[in-house]
Amino acid sequence: MLRSIFSFLLLLSFSAFSQTGSKPLPVATVKDTLAPVPVPADRYGLRVGIDAYRLARSFFDDGYRGIELVGDYRLTKKIYAAAELGNLKYTVDDTQLNFTTSGSYLKVGFDYNAYTNWLDMENMIYIGARYGFANFSQRLNSYKVYQNSTIGNATPTNTPTNYLDEVTVQADRNYSGLSAHWLELVGGAKAELFDNLFLGVSVRLNVLITDKKPADFDNLYIPGFNRTYDGNFGVGLNYTLSYFIPLYKKQATKADDKKEAKK
Amino acid sequence: MKRLIGSVTLLLLICCYLWSCEKDDLCPDSTPTTPSLIIRFYNADNHAALKKVDNLKVFMEGSDTITLGTVDSIALPLRTDVTATRWALQYNRASSSTPGTFISDTDIIEFKYTTREAYVSRACGYKVMFTLDEGTNANPNPVVTDVPEETHLWIDEFTIENKNIENENKAHVKIYF
Repeated sequence: MLRSIFSFLLLLSFSAFSQTGSKPLPVATVKDTLAPVPVPADRYGLRVGIDAYRLARSFFDDGYRGIELVGDYRLTKKIYAAAELGNLKYTVDDTQLNFTTSGSYLKVGFDYNAYTNWLDMENMIYIGARYGFANFSQRLNSYKVYQNSTIGNATPTNTPTNYLDEVTVQADRNYSGLSAHWLELVGGAKAELFDNLFLGVSVRLNVLITDKKPADFDNLYIPGFNRTYDGNFGVGLNYTLSYFIPLYKKQATKADDKKEAKK
Repeated sequence: MKRLIGSVTLLLLICCYLWSCEKDDLCPDSTPTTPSLIIRFYNADNHAALKKVDNLKVFMEGSDTITLGTVDSIALPLRTDVTATRWALQYNRASSSTPGTFISDTDIIEFKYTTREAYVSRACGYKVMFTLDEGTNANPNPVVTDVPEETHLWIDEFTIENKNIENENKAHVKIYF
């Protein structure tokens, strides 16, 4: 399920790239031949939204209840301050372990828009970085004791099977006051669907800096960071619907235009 | 622009890679998990000499019998959900009077212990380690008894070599016969 969503997003982002490749050429030629056209002013403001992926998953997945609010504020022509605020309660049912992670997280950082818009369009293809912090608790619901209770050596005709029945322990232990810090590398796109309404998608590569682990258990899932792997890496994504609140307008400066022309 | 597309693609590829290869989903055999009890058999007349048990069979009362053959050491799993496990050890001596037949002798050895668990990993979950109770006169450990239909114990003596059962590197119990 996750994987299919992911590959769909991957396709989507690639198709977005293919449009941008041929873009800069016509702009340059038009500029040379025609009298200068009044450049529309850039709009600056706050964009707030919600992650539709976590919202939808909360509907369909019984063990998942998550919400993520997103926001960004345009600082310069290309740079946006960005943040995500989320809360999650997620029960993971693995072969050996069943545990519930619940907590809140905050990510702050910036996005750099690398997409050159036509006229007054405000789409984004961006890369960015975030610092993430989560405060959470883990409840170990149950676990299986891993015991290889085979007796004797395997022969060509006989593979020993476990002699003892598997033991499941209803632990029901709560570990609270846990925290984690990490960095994220973000890549994504935002497109304006209707007036001021944006659809966004982003993928994240996370690197865990430090986390406070429970005694005799581990942080196998961290709100915001998602599943932890053997290394310190993790991945994430969101699929956002957001609304742009315009605050003021600013004409693009000459310097900005020159930079454009160079590219 | 090209560099940007390149770096975003790289990011996507790394994400894809991390997503698809979940190496830590299977508990590898090499990971130490719940240890079994290691018993070695020694000669009752010469405590330094290992002695092989002929055609040894082991079972828990009410469960299948496992044929181990002629061995001088065995690894027996202990139950993690209780604090005592009874294993029946059946010694099948070749009969000297009637060749080709065996004289079987079954003794039951009961181990009493405390358990404690330890977290291993996502794939392996938890393991349990054991500490054998200290044997006293009032409460000996382990206890060797005969099955009701027999009157002869083949196990002469036993010693606890290592009461902490945390790994399978060394013998925990020695049996002399």
